[in-house]
This record gives sequence, C-alpha cells and structure tokens, in this order.
Amino acid sequence: MTTKHGIGTTHTRSIKNRFARRFLRSLLKMKRSNRLGTGFQSDEEIRKRNTQRIKTAADRSMARVVGPRKIWSRALLFKLRNRARIQVGLRKRCLVSKKKKVLRKEKKVQVISREPNRADNLRKLVPGGDSMDICCLLEETAHYIKCLATQVKVMQSIADLYST
Amino acid sequence: MQPCSREMQGINSLLNPSSQIPLQDLQNQQIQNSHFDPNSSSNDDFLEQMLSAIPPSCSWPDLKSPWDLSMPINSNGNGNSAAKPRDLPDETDNTNVGFHNNFDESVILASKLRQHQISGGGSGAAAAAAKMMLHPQFLMASARGGLPQNDVIDVSSFKGGDGSIQELFNGFGAGSMNGTGQASSQSMQHFNHPQGGAMPAQNFGAQVAATTALMNQPQPSGSNGGAPAQPRQRVRARRGQATDPHSIAERLRRERIAERMKALQELVPNANKADKASMLDEIIDYVKFLQLQVKVLSMSRLGGGAAAVAPLVADMSSEAGGDCIQAGAKGGSLARPSNGSQTARTNDSSLTVTEHQVAKLMEEDMGSAMQYLQGKGLCLMPISLATAISTATCHSRSPAINNHHHPLLQPNGEGPTSPSMSVLTVQSATMGNVGGDGGAAKDAASVSKP
Repeated sequence: MTTKHGIGTTHTRSIKNRFARRFLRSLLKMKRSNRLGTGFQSDEEIRKRNTQRIKTAADRSMARVVGPRKIWSRALLFKLRNRARIQVGLRKRCLVSKKKKVLRKEKKVQVISREPNRADNLRKLVPGGDSMDICCLLEETAHYIKCLATQVKVMQSIADLYST
Repeated sequence: MQPCSREMQGINSLLNPSSQIPLQDLQNQQIQNSHFDPNSSSNDDFLEQMLSAIPPSCSWPDLKSPWDLSMPINSNGNGNSAAKPRDLPDETDNTNVGFHNNFDESVILASKLRQHQISGGGSGAAAAAAKMMLHPQFLMASARGGLPQNDVIDVSSFKGGDGSIQELFNGFGAGSMNGTGQASSQSMQHFNHPQGGAMPAQNFGAQVAATTALMNQPQPSGSNGGAPAQPRQRVRARRGQATDPHSIAERLRRERIAERMKALQELVPNANKADKASMLDEIIDYVKFLQLQVKVLSMSRLGGGAAAVAPLVADMSSEAGGDCIQAGAKGGSLARPSNGSQTARTNDSSLTVTEHQVAKLMEEDMGSAMQYLQGKGLCLMPISLATAISTATCHSRSPAINNHHHPLLQPNGEGPTSPSMSVLTVQSATMGNVGGDGGAAKDAASVSKP
C-alpha cells in the first residue's frame, strides 16, 4: 500500500523505508553491545533480554519515525524512556518511591472519569489512549494500526532473509 | 437601524452563518426598498434560483391584504394558528403603512414560495423557508423601531416556555407534514400571522423558535430518507428534537465518529460488521494480534539475525531507497552460511526436544501445546504444506539448512515467507483452539485456524 487517502494521509512507503533503516541500525548497535557485554548470563536469559531489546528497539524506532506528531508516538516514547529510567534506578538504588513518581508522571493531568466504556480495552492497547476522547482514539488507532502493520511487514521480511 | 441590528445578530446567532449573507442582502434591499429581483448578489444560489423560478406573473389579486391572506390559510386547518393572538398593532399610521408596503412584498414572496414548493421540488425548501422567515422578521423589526423591545432576541428568550411554542412543536411533530411542500406552506401560514402587527416579544421569540424548528424539521425527512438535501446546512435535527446547539454538536460528533469508524473498517481485515460494537471488538482483536505478532517476530530473530545485519545496513546506506531489503539479500546470504550451520545444528537439537514436548502436550491439551509453540516462536503445519514451502523457498537458502528441515516443526523465521503463515501461528496461539480445518494433514499435525 502506498498512499492512503483518508483522514491521515501519510505515505506508508516512506514510513516503511524509514522504519526499516532505523530498525536495522538499532539491531546493529545491539549486536555490537551483545558482543561486548555478555558471557555472565545463561543462554535463556540472553535470549529473553534480546527479545525484549528487539521489541523495544522496534517500538522506539517506529515512534521516532512517526515523530511527535501523533499522540500515541509521544506516549510510546515517553513510556520507553521512563522504563529505561526505572530499570536503571532499580538496578542502582532500588528505590520504589522513584518508580511511583515516574508512573504518576505518566498519567496526564486531564482526569477523565467515565463509566466503563466499550472502548476501554482499546485505550489500554493503544499507547497514550487513556487521555483521549473516542474521536481522537479512533483516529489514533487507525494510524497505529497502519504503523504496526508496516512494522510487522518489515520485521517479517528481515526475519525471512536472515534467520535460520 | 440600530435597534434592529441587535436583533439581527441574535437571529444570526441562532441560524447558520451561511444564511447571514442573504440576510444582509435582504437588509440592504430593505433599506433601499427596492424590488427583490436584483438581489442576485447573494452567495446563496437557491435564493436566486427561487426568485428567478417564480413566475413573474404572480397572482396579485390573492394578496390583497395580510388579513385576507391569513384568513383562508387559517381555515385550511391549522389549529395552532388559533393560539396565536393576532393583535393589530397600536401603531401610528405611518409605521403601519410603511409596514404594509414592505409587507406586501414579503407576502408576495411567501405565496410565491408556497406555490413554487407545491409545484416543484422542495429540496431547499427549508432554506427558502429560512430566508422567508428572516425577511418578515426583519420587516417587523424595522417596522417596530419605536416599540419597546426589552431584550435582544437571544437564545434564552426563545426558550422561555410559551405554551404557544409547545403547541407549535406538537403541531409540527403531529405529522401533518407529509412533505416538505406542506411543511413550508405551514410555515408560510405561521409567519404570515404575526406579520399583521407588532407581536409582543414573547411571540416574536416563539416565532423564531417555531420557524427555526420548522426549518430544521423538513430537513430530517430528507435526511432520514437518504442523502441530505443541502450538505452545507449545519442546523439539522431529527424530528422531535430541540434545536439547541447541544444536540447539533452531538450530531456532529457522532458523524465524526462514524467517519473514523469507516476509515478503520478499511484497515482492519474481516471488517464487514455493520454493528459498531462488534466492529470495535474486531479492531481491538486486530490490534492485539498485531502487537503479538511484533513480539513473536522479535523472539524469532535471535542468534543469526543480528549478525547478518551489517552487510545489509551497508547496502542500504548506499542505495537511494525502494526495496532495499531485497537488494541486500545477496550481500546477506554470504554472511549466513558461516553461522548458519552452527545455528542450524543447535536448532535441530532443540527442535527434536521441542517436538517431543509438543507431542506430549498435544495429548493433554491442544491449547497449551499451541501456547508452548508460540513461546518458542514455532508453528504447526501439514507436512504437505511444509514440503511445498521448503521446495519453493529453497533456492534462496543454502542447501545445508534444507536438510535440517523438520517435517513437523519449522522455526518461524525460515518456513513462512508470507505473513499468512505466521498469522496462522500467532492466531492459533491467541485463539488457543484447534479448528481442525487445516486441510489435508497426514499426521496429527494440523494447521489451526481461528
């Protein structure tokens, strides 16, 4: 799919290319750091860590490609950054209070109290969906689905070519 | 015209901004007290069209005086008209005469419009009704320059519940409107009555409410029928609903949501659900599925994947764009056999172990077997399909790897070249059920579909 005419007309092909490049670069970086800093962990742990890293690398590169123009990309970047900060904090000092502070910061100021809506599950799935009304939520979901689909396509083609 | 301008602003605040332009044109026209025909400078095409379409030879003798006009109309059987007090104004003769001069033209226009509607199509009937409504009200306003007008006609004033308002609404909703033509004819009747004189402020407000309601109500009969008459007209409400801005805003919001849902429907596969709730469920499932797919893909690409990225990145940086990934395949395949054999062997041993485990699990519970597979990033497929895929893709892979193809289990990254295969994997994992309709399966292996 090339250009999608609709509410958000973004060029999917350019998103795909930009994401592919960024993702591959991040994979390369990960490979280098793997070579340097492993050996003290078992294979299973290494694999798990790599899984997590690949996933976060994919998400972060996707969010960066989309940029701060969309609510979900901003929320995703924020979450990833805070997660790294939390992990670093836990490793160094194990301060639980700091984690709480960071988590509280993630919640937006706008307090929306509604009765349990049908779209609550959707809000949980889409990053940053808590602070959006239904209208924006649907728009963001459309863009998010498009980006997820391109992400899957790129990752799938990379996997087809390079894994064994 | 100072006291009238405020009223005009009030009326304008009620109505569509697009109708302000013809209003101003009418205003200018009134000031000049010229004939209606040169009023083609307005942006509203329908007004022109209406005016030009009205046969020049109008039935003048019908319109002797406002009272004569209203009497036969009243006898046509609108009970609400009786509720409206037709008080003759206690005005000076000057204003009355001046009023009559202006009034004749409006009455002429009103009757012409009625005839026009009864004869022809009333697609813009409500718009025409709006203009007609604006006009005599403006007349009244201009005539009533000296009358004590307590407040500006703002939104609150016409909500001040008169009994007449309720009657009007009831009358409109009662279904005497079989068509737009009739509705507008009723509207003609209704504001022909107040033209008789200076209505008190309340009735003026009631009339504004009535005509705005009336203007709205012919619309939904068109909009309910199918295509909306004038897509420009924003003041549109269903029958029986008040025309307050809240319901209008709600309707706009609903339209926007429907628009977005339609766009989502194109993105999500299998989205032929007419129901909004089930559509939402589909969307949620699809988003969950895509996220799961990303997770699975990131699991399956450990080991040799990251190692072989280097030549690809080098190639990509040198190329302009397009299908860079395929272009890098040649460079990548060179790097692969070096570590391919190692990983293949490790995969093979792990595969046999996994196979035994899966066979054990399958005896107990298919769902857990699927979940176990998903955790490993593997999928089940029929042997025939596996062999077909391996023969189809063997040309791009080193032959050493093909020998290690396990008939039963295949790692996710190697076998499926199309997303559909991994779709099956992930979907089977998510759904956790074995459909059993995977096709011809020689062994117990079957491709599960949701």
